[in-house]
Amino acid sequence: MPHKHMKVIVGVLSIIIGLFLNTTEVTAQCDPAVYTEACIPQLVDGFNFVKSYEINGEGGAKDKVEYSYVFAKGTQYFLNICADGDQTDGIVVSLYDSNRKKVGTSFANGNFNKGIIYPCNATGIYYITFTFEGSQQHCGGAVLGFKR
Amino acid sequence: MKKLSLLIGAGLLLLSSCDSGSKIDEQAFLDSLQTTESNSPVISEEVLESILQQIPSPLEIAVLLKESGTNYDIELLNGTDQLATYNSNFKKALNLGVYGTDLGYTNIYEQNQDAFEYLTAIRDLADGLSIGQFFDFGVIRRLATNSRNLDSLLLITTKNFNNINASLQEQQRANLSVLLLTGGWLEALHIICQVTERNMNNEELKERIGEQKIILENIMLLLSFYSESNPNIKELSDKMAELQAQFDKIEITQTYAESTLEEVNGIVTISNNSTTTINITDENVKEISRITSSIRDYIIK
Repeated sequence: MPHKHMKVIVGVLSIIIGLFLNTTEVTAQCDPAVYTEACIPQLVDGFNFVKSYEINGEGGAKDKVEYSYVFAKGTQYFLNICADGDQTDGIVVSLYDSNRKKVGTSFANGNFNKGIIYPCNATGIYYITFTFEGSQQHCGGAVLGFKR
Repeated sequence: MKKLSLLIGAGLLLLSSCDSGSKIDEQAFLDSLQTTESNSPVISEEVLESILQQIPSPLEIAVLLKESGTNYDIELLNGTDQLATYNSNFKKALNLGVYGTDLGYTNIYEQNQDAFEYLTAIRDLADGLSIGQFFDFGVIRRLATNSRNLDSLLLITTKNFNNINASLQEQQRANLSVLLLTGGWLEALHIICQVTERNMNNEELKERIGEQKIILENIMLLLSFYSESNPNIKELSDKMAELQAQFDKIEITQTYAESTLEEVNGIVTISNNSTTTINITDENVKEISRITSSIRDYIIK
């Protein structure tokens, strides 16, 4: 193979590998699965785990991450946030009902609380919204548990 | 990370294709991809995913039944002897959902021997759909043989089903995820209907049946995305439409009230007096139960 062709191939390969490494480095910055996994054992006693939620604010590019779930009357739900360290790193979970009226939030009296417990009396779709208030990492996880 | 996983996955698939022992799995995987490609809906993955993850866990109904004092009854469940008859991806995915609910029910009632039978059936169906890799059966078997491990068993199976759903969506096989959830939901509805018909005085159970109207609306929406392109899903959707017509007779009214918040040890407890009232008659329950049994027969037989 001529030397010139070899140079072109090596150049193209370098670009591809460089792009690949760069992409994986950027996306590896936030791995919410680490936090969701750590969050499951933190469910308050008596709550059954049902779902985990990844909270990836993409380094601040996203101002909220939203999920939804059908909550049932007569059931208590617990949403717990996990982030870097013991605290929530400015991540706040808020709950909205099917009419988008706010039901509650983990940010109360100026405190970033770890979670919320909602004893549900009204069955319907609820929106679980995670926002970032002065967050450093914009990255975390949360879990949902239920009990009767 | 997704890109990395895809590249590694593609690499592993290439490598495994050199191994004649993995030919069956590989073929099943490719077949299932083919099935999905022709069934891609014209909606965004994001919308599809957001509707899919709204569907509540069938475990909630199992817990309700146990805590309302209902005895364990294996006759309510789909026997694992039917397993060999589920040959198509359509049937496998639906019955994976059915067995998933049955497993949850046996788990909640701490019936470990039965749970183990359902786990084995689930493994076979999951393998048939090339999603068996999510089940570490060594760990599950160990947990299932000791009732003290119930919480761990419940947790691990819930996580596995969540992972399966997430993976099917990532692999563009969300139609199977829709079927899995539909099968699981219908089985839970069947169980609660059968129990309620034996005791029509239990208003809580009747209300819980009525509430399923909200979930069914979402399931119908999900099925509609695939009905045009998939005749099996169209047929299922037509049957489910009869169920929806019965649920349409149930009235759900809501009253809204402001919340108050109480902080204790880093946890906020929300007190909220918003309520829903569900008007459901005994006749509604009987009709819903009848139609549900009929659709379930179509799925499991």
